[in-house]
Amino acid sequence: MADALGAFEQAVLITIIRLGDEAYGRGILKDVQARLDRDVAPGAVHATLDRLEKKRLLSSKLGSGTPVRAGRPRRYYRLTAAGVHALNDAREAVENIWRGLKWPLVKARSMA
Amino acid sequence: MTIDRPTTLPPSWAESLLRLILTPEDRDSVSGDLLEEYRESIVPSLGGTANRWYVRHVARYVLSATWAWAVVVGAICLWRYLLDTLAPIHYTAGVIALRSAVMSWTLMATFFGCGAWHAWRTGHLRAGVLLTLIAAAMGGYLGMAGTLVSLSISHGPEIMAAIEGSGGLFEGFPGVPLLLLIVAFISGTPGALAGRAAAAIYGWSRPNTKSA
Repeated sequence: MADALGAFEQAVLITIIRLGDEAYGRGILKDVQARLDRDVAPGAVHATLDRLEKKRLLSSKLGSGTPVRAGRPRRYYRLTAAGVHALNDAREAVENIWRGLKWPLVKARSMA
Repeated sequence: MTIDRPTTLPPSWAESLLRLILTPEDRDSVSGDLLEEYRESIVPSLGGTANRWYVRHVARYVLSATWAWAVVVGAICLWRYLLDTLAPIHYTAGVIALRSAVMSWTLMATFFGCGAWHAWRTGHLRAGVLLTLIAAAMGGYLGMAGTLVSLSISHGPEIMAAIEGSGGLFEGFPGVPLLLLIVAFISGTPGALAGRAAAAIYGWSRPNTKSA
């Protein structure tokens, strides 16, 4: 089993799946910000993408630039087979932890 | 929005700094992402303070490139302080104590490594030197902070006597951090030269998982 993925890493990987062919740095940033409902630093997203790529969970290739980027190319990301496997493992781990509990949780009896 | 208006340009020095410290593989794509975010989201929402946002985020990239080196530098400075206060020795003028030599060489090796790593990673000599100086400054402040915390915990007469015996409190505060910058420049520059040469000669073997 691959190294356990952190919550932010999972958010980035799932966003890449959602965005499909449009998964590039800023697009991922905006989607992660919207889904986590908080401000996320571009540097945090870039560092995570870099780390996931070094773990071979992602692959990337350069696309074309746009005027708003001063012609600088976008780097598009996609999951590798190992990335899909790692996400499946992460999901399975969470489901195992939650198995047998109803969600949302109600206040525990001892805390009532 | 007209994207070529001068108001939609981030500070040129900050953009140059960002591009300087990024790897060649990331230089265009990462700086392009930040520029796109700045122009599409930040300028329309923050207006006049958008440049502050840009500079703050460039600072984060600089911080993430240097913090580990700064921690090493700060730890070396703190280690020396603790050694001098918990196991004091008598320093003789003109004689270099073993612990002084070990500290100096360890710091010089750290700065050499920092310069080499960043010059090799970025392919820029200037990045190696600049990031070494930033790491030295940050490390100096971390060492000072650690010293202050240690001093606030333990500041008995024997500790103060040990500090006096090793050069005094004032040597540690304005003195060492300033000295660190000089040592960082002297050691980081050859490191950066070595790293730049390695990037030129062995650049092909850089562990690069990214495709063009």
